Formats: sequence, structure tokens, C-alpha cells
Amino acid sequence: MGMFDAMEISASGLTAERMRMDVTAQNLANAQTTRGADGEPYRRKEVVLAERQAPGSFGAALSGAMTSSGSTPAGVEVAAISEDQTPLKQVYDPSHPDADANGYVQMPNVDTVAEMVDLISAQRAYEANVTAMQAAKQMFSKTLELLR
Amino acid sequence: MLFDTTQLALERAISGAAQRHSALAANLANVNTPGYQRVDVDFHGALRSALENGGDSRAAVERTAFSAERDATAVARADGNGVDADAESAKLAANALEQQAAVQVAHARIAILKSAMGVG
Repeated sequence: MGMFDAMEISASGLTAERMRMDVTAQNLANAQTTRGADGEPYRRKEVVLAERQAPGSFGAALSGAMTSSGSTPAGVEVAAISEDQTPLKQVYDPSHPDADANGYVQMPNVDTVAEMVDLISAQRAYEANVTAMQAAKQMFSKTLELLR
Repeated sequence: MLFDTTQLALERAISGAAQRHSALAANLANVNTPGYQRVDVDFHGALRSALENGGDSRAAVERTAFSAERDATAVARADGNGVDADAESAKLAANALEQQAAVQVAHARIAILKSAMGVG
């Protein structure tokens, strides 16, 4: 258990939430994209978060063996960025260059309102992690005052 | 001995609060992780049982180790996540204050020792 573990854990939360914001921004930017990288309409992307397991370092193994049961908190990580496989939206727009024979265009399955909600949730979680990091900083500097 | 049981208990409390902070920070980092169960460090309980150890509480306090435990009692959301961001933030703030209080008291006791030694 190092002194800066708490800050590293909060930093992993910041990274994860920032990634969620990036992906949400990507979804919003591509809400009308009918030609994605594979030529198909853009599909909504989603960040899959997973609890980070304690790193397999020597120190971690040693402290794990020396302390009793229980888990060592190690933060969060982005496990994957997956594509949302829900059906694409069908929009009737015969003048669109990507319209099919019946005049329907396949539009991305991005719901802008849901994306905005995701954005707010990511932002709030980011702020919570910043607060935790500030508290850790304060605690460490207070502890250092013991030396004075 | 220079440091009495209270001083040792204070030092263990400072270390326990730091560990608890790591656990609470991990809960906040995983506030959006599906299926995550919150963790917590019960350093109060561990120290209390060490101090109430009838025979040699000093040695018991010195040996006290804390560990993060899963809290299975937390009510999970629809995605299986049992973290309440507001409750975690409140616990985090309270824990930080508690740690600072312990540091202040430890500091004051060291200052008393210093002045008794004539170096304060």
C-alpha cells in the first residue's frame, strides 16, 4: 500500500470518465454520418468499464501475501469500446445520396438525448474523482506536517 | 518507551484512514462499472478490538493490519453497481477530516514530548 495509491485510483477514474466523454462526443459528432469507416452507417459506440485488478508486481504480491484476506482497491479501467448493435434508424429522404430504391436512408442509431445524459453522468463522475484526489492531496500534506 | 499506546493507535489510525481513502476513491472511480460491489476498510473496528485486548493492547495495536472488504449489504442499481456517489463523497470527506484530526493530535503529542526534551 503506497502513499500515492489513492491518487492513482482517482486518476484511473479520471481517465475512464474522460474516455466516456470522448466517446459520447464522437457519437454526437457522427449522429448524421451515413458512411462510416466500413462504408456502413455509423454505429453508436459505448465504453465498457471494468474494475482494475491489482497489478501483478512484486510489491503487490508481497503485500497481498502479508496482509489478511480482502481485496486491494486498484481503480477502474476501460475494458473495451463496443458498438451498439441496436437497429439503425430508417428515415424517408429520397433526395439523400445514400437513399435505397424505396427512398429510405439508414441513419446512425445515435439518440442525442441519451448521449447528453451520458455526458452529464460522465462529467459528474469526473468531478467526484477530482474531489477524491484533492482530499487525498490534503491528507498527504497534513501527514507531512508531522515532520515539522 | 518513548511512544505510548495512544500514540501508536494514532499512527495506526492515520494509516487506516489513508487505506480507507484508497477504498473510497476506488468506489468513486468505479461508480459507472456494471456489477461493481463497493469496498470499505473498517479500521475503527480493528483498532477498537486491538485496544480492548485485555492482555497486551500495545502489541495488539502495533500488529493491527487493515484490509479492504467487499460490502455485500449495499443496495445495487439495475446494472449491479452498489455505489452511491453522494454517500461515498460524504464518507470520503468525513474520513479526510478524521485523518486530519488524528494527525493534529499526534502532532500536539509530539510537540509535548519535544518540549519535555527541551528541543521544542
